[in-house]
Amino acid sequence: MDKLLNWFSEIADRWDTNAIKFTIYATIAVIIGGAFELIPPFFLAQSVIPISAVKPYNALELAGRDIYQREGCNNCHTQMIRPFKWEVDRFDPSGAYGKDGYSKGGEYVYDHPFLWGSKRTGPDLAHESQIKPSVDWHKRHLINPQATVNNSIMPPYPWLFLESAKLNSEEIVSHMKALSKVGVPYTDSDYSGAKELVDGKLEGDALIAYLMKLGKDTANLESSVR
Amino acid sequence: MATKTEYDDFIVRGFIISAMVWGVASMLFGVIIAFQMVYPQLNLGLPYTSFGRLRPLHTNAAIFGFALSVIFATAYHTVQRLCRIRMMSDGLSRIHLVLYNLTIVLAAITLPLGYSQGKEYAELEWPLDLLIVIWYVIFFINYLGTVIKREEKQMYVAIWFYIASFVTVPLLFIVNNLVIPASLMKSYSIYSGIFDANIQWWYGHNAVAFVLTTPFLGLMYYYLPKHINLPIYSHRLSIIHFWSLIFIYIWAGPHHLLYSPIPEWLQTAGVVFSIMLWMPSWGGMLNGFLTLTQTRDKIKVDATLKMMLVAITFYGMSTFEGPLLSIRAVSAIGHNTDWIIGHVHSGTLGWVGFLSASALYYLVPRLWNSKLYSENLANFHFWIGTLGILLYIVSMWASGITEGSMWRALNTDGTLMYPDWVSITEELKLFRLARAIGGSMFFIGICVMIFNFIMTMKNKDSGFEATDLRVGVRG
Repeated sequence: MDKLLNWFSEIADRWDTNAIKFTIYATIAVIIGGAFELIPPFFLAQSVIPISAVKPYNALELAGRDIYQREGCNNCHTQMIRPFKWEVDRFDPSGAYGKDGYSKGGEYVYDHPFLWGSKRTGPDLAHESQIKPSVDWHKRHLINPQATVNNSIMPPYPWLFLESAKLNSEEIVSHMKALSKVGVPYTDSDYSGAKELVDGKLEGDALIAYLMKLGKDTANLESSVR
Repeated sequence: MATKTEYDDFIVRGFIISAMVWGVASMLFGVIIAFQMVYPQLNLGLPYTSFGRLRPLHTNAAIFGFALSVIFATAYHTVQRLCRIRMMSDGLSRIHLVLYNLTIVLAAITLPLGYSQGKEYAELEWPLDLLIVIWYVIFFINYLGTVIKREEKQMYVAIWFYIASFVTVPLLFIVNNLVIPASLMKSYSIYSGIFDANIQWWYGHNAVAFVLTTPFLGLMYYYLPKHINLPIYSHRLSIIHFWSLIFIYIWAGPHHLLYSPIPEWLQTAGVVFSIMLWMPSWGGMLNGFLTLTQTRDKIKVDATLKMMLVAITFYGMSTFEGPLLSIRAVSAIGHNTDWIIGHVHSGTLGWVGFLSASALYYLVPRLWNSKLYSENLANFHFWIGTLGILLYIVSMWASGITEGSMWRALNTDGTLMYPDWVSITEELKLFRLARAIGGSMFFIGICVMIFNFIMTMKNKDSGFEATDLRVGVRG
């Protein structure tokens, strides 16, 4: 072992007199691990089993997702349920996902960016549509969380429901078109239908529509659809 | 000293001042959001002051404002001295300083306005990312050019660590920030779902590695031996732990995604390399400790040295805790909890914060050519900071393990023991209050340091004399 270390340190010792060589070797050292972890998941292995029931976000849901991202909801709410009994029981209280109440890769194929979060200060929202399906409850909760959940530490979001928070369908369509460039299969009817879905709606309505989309497509599936 | 005038110290002073400004700003926001988690009224019901927008401001200001300023200040300072030449171009240095600070100001404006790419530590929208790439290229050309032109045959260890950081960070930054713009301030990641998650944590983990670890090891390898006037303990150890550290670190990202839908083999690779990482990390810690013990009886009289000691201790502690948390069974209880926040802060406050402070205590009197205004205040900073960090991480351990245990607790009939979410957050309130107080103590320490520096700077050019800390030498 000592010989091996001596051998290596003697070689490496020679590199530190040539800045260019050193820089190239250091780059190679980091690229090996980076390439191994980034390239195979994309090109070699089938990393995601598609779920045909999962559909892209419609215009209103996408507008809601933009708000979710803007307000930084992912700083306190995760969207990834791990395959543990206690997590599945907690985040699938109605048993809408059978014994598969944990998150699967196929549920996230249209998520640009992913919003899994890394800190679960509030509950997980990946399957929120099956946990709290009431639009009215969400509206009251977002305007004043403590009114519906005593002692909650969530901040209030009253500005999402002000008249000034009216959505603009043209802006949403431009967002959809950007997403279509990175592979989200939006069609012309999605763009033309945006006006009807979005116009007159408030940011808060969109955010709730997004929450009602979370987990909807994979709930109560026949196993053959997977 | 005739040689001293050759060096460009203006740029070092510039980045020291930005480190002071962004250090205070980032930690102030850290304290605010820590109290928001106990008293939600502090969100003020306004969009610009709500937790979800201020938390990215805190992390970005701390990483890209404070830590990067310290890295640039020390990089400019050390590279000129270790290469025995002035920076290749003063003009490029100055452009770098201006554009860099402009970026952080724009970040401080756009993040509270809600412009965010939605990925941790990569929140800044695409025009700001482009600005970062511009000044980064300027800096890198200047830095490497200086190293290539150097008048010293060998590149000292410190330079290795800086170079490795400076080549890896742009790689991570560019790959993770590839987006498709939808408008001037809105974009979407080109990756989706699990691929985006994988790339994000490859980036996120290595931002910790190549922004908060390797440059600071370089910093330690320069300022520790200079401060005590004695050589590093082992050159061979530094070679071995340098190459193994940079090779292994880059693999460890997937430990942030255990039990997620990313491929199983990828998670396992992340775990294996995270555990392997323990050894090279401790190689650096040991080299630091063994260097420092050459002058151990001076630790009690010198606040800067005390800070270095505590910084290296926290480095050793958090690089042990990291591999531990990456083991699947430990991750099962620690993931998504306050434990992770505690782990990050033992690294950021303990290692990065204190090592940065010790480098600043070394630099400010020398660069403003004046005696440090008060050694007692530096000593006070050390103690309140150390106690603050301890209170912070101990309360986060307690909070995180409580949280993780309550999530998983089952009754004998198999039902959840705590189905009500708020009954869990209520339990954590006291720990989180203790965390906020610990963070405030650290923040007070930083404010005292800044006051000390301002008073030192006021006595500019009154003459500086270094204390010799070698054993047996009377100071």
